[in-house]
Parts: sequence; structure tokens; C-alpha cells
Amino acid sequence: MKILRGLGWTMIWSGVIILLFLGYQLVGTNVITARAQSVASEELEQTFEEAAEILELSGIDVPDTIEPGEMPDVPVLSPDITPVENQAFARLVIPKAEADDVVFEGVSRSTLKNGPGHMPWTALPGQPGNAVISGHRTTYGAPFFDLDLLEPGDEIRVQTALGWHVYEVRSSEIVSPTDVWVTDHRDGAWLTLTTCHPRWSAAQRLVVFAELVEGVNYPFVQSMDPTAPNVTDRPDSLPGEDF
Amino acid sequence: MVKRLFRSLPGPLPLRILLAIVIVLLILVALGFIFERAGDLLDNGGVIQ
Repeated sequence: MKILRGLGWTMIWSGVIILLFLGYQLVGTNVITARAQSVASEELEQTFEEAAEILELSGIDVPDTIEPGEMPDVPVLSPDITPVENQAFARLVIPKAEADDVVFEGVSRSTLKNGPGHMPWTALPGQPGNAVISGHRTTYGAPFFDLDLLEPGDEIRVQTALGWHVYEVRSSEIVSPTDVWVTDHRDGAWLTLTTCHPRWSAAQRLVVFAELVEGVNYPFVQSMDPTAPNVTDRPDSLPGEDF
Repeated sequence: MVKRLFRSLPGPLPLRILLAIVIVLLILVALGFIFERAGDLLDNGGVIQ
């Protein structure tokens, strides 16, 4: 009788802990991210204003729109406004997935709680090369929940201090979490989004590749020499936290 | 069961209340840590490395 009672209490407490876990994952993490995104939206406006000042002081004119055939003064984001770890620096909009999130610099565990994170050793969005952004699929606001809906031709927009950069999805792939080739440099300007796959599992990665088709850097990217050297080097391991 | 555990704490009532609060806080911190790690099995942010 005593053993049965003990077993009963163990099951009750196990159930309570499982419910708490689910509550934390389904609700708690989303609250954490929603707060971070709200603060980051304001931070982002400030970052854009500061970047505009730096560009103005540098005498660089960033046009709002580019006429066909026109070459912009700024081919790449100024190094002076390269984001630091955990800084909100871009806005990612994926109309088909109904996603609109502030992007942070870095892919550490703490950074990704705030929203999608840019892998620091890859090109910045809007720059030539391969800009890689990772995000949660089912927790912490689930910014990439519907990433599997994207098909070739779908639009992805990224706003940086330079303005909007429009990408078009070219392909998507399911890969292993260790398939680092997806972060490798690419000719032209690419945006690579990575997230967990399938939903509620970190066993694999869903990767979406999109190519720049519009924006202030687009004419420059089109005129680039495809044999140009790589922009960045990938480190062997991430600084700070492990995954 | 909870009452029995509370009564088994040493010392006078105020000390037992304090001990109970500390124990609950420790349990919450431990649960938070475990939830974070277990959550990585469901979704770790999609990083490739």
C-alpha cells in the first residue's frame, strides 16, 4: 500500500513537471521573445538613425531607390556600422510565412532567445556573399515556424541601415545539423535561413536559399567578378555557448 | 505530502518558512536549467555547426 501511494505521488509530480515544461516551452519562451522583440524594434530604429548619421558624416549617399542601370555609391555595408554581438541590426520579413522579426547579431543560445540571429562569420544581409540567419522553429516566438511553406520564387525582404534588400527563394533543403557547407561563401548575394526540422525536433535542419534580386546593392552584385575571394572565414567553433 | 515535508524541516516556524522558500527557489532554478536543456531537444535555434 505504501509503495502504491509513493508511486502515485511520483506520477502526480512527474505530470506536474511535464505540464510545467510544456507551459514554459509553449508560452514562457514566447513571452521572453516577444518582450525582447518589442525592445529591439526601438533599438533597431536607433541603430538605423546612428548608421544614417555615420553614412552622412562619411559623405556616402544612400539612395532610397535605384534606377535601372544606376550604380550606387555604397556597394557594401560600411565596416563602421557592422553590428556587435547581440545587437539588433536588421528586420526580416517573410510574407508567405507571415514572419516579421528583428534580427540580432550572433547565434548563441542567449541571442537566439531574442529572435533570429545572424552568423557573424558570414556576409551581412544585403552584402555580396552568403548571409546566414538562424532562428527557432517552434519555441521562442517561433520566427521560422512556417519556413517549410517557402517555394522557389517566394520573396524574403531584409531591412538594414542601407535600406531594403529583396531576395527570392531559389531552393530549400533538409540537411544534418553539421552540414556547415550551407554557410559557405556563394557568388552573388545570397540569404540562407536555417531552422530545426521537423517541427518539435532538433534532429535535422531546414535550409532555405534565397538570392538577392532587388535593393541598393543589387546593381553592384550583378557587376561583381564571380572569381572574387571569399568575404569571410568560418571559425572551427562558436565562441561562448555550445549547442 | 507537502505538509509532511514542511513539518519535517528543522527549527521554529519562521525558519522553516524561510527554508521552504529557499528550497522552492532552488527547485525552480534547477527546473529552469533542465527545461532549457530539454528544450534544446525540441528546438535549439537551427544553428548549423
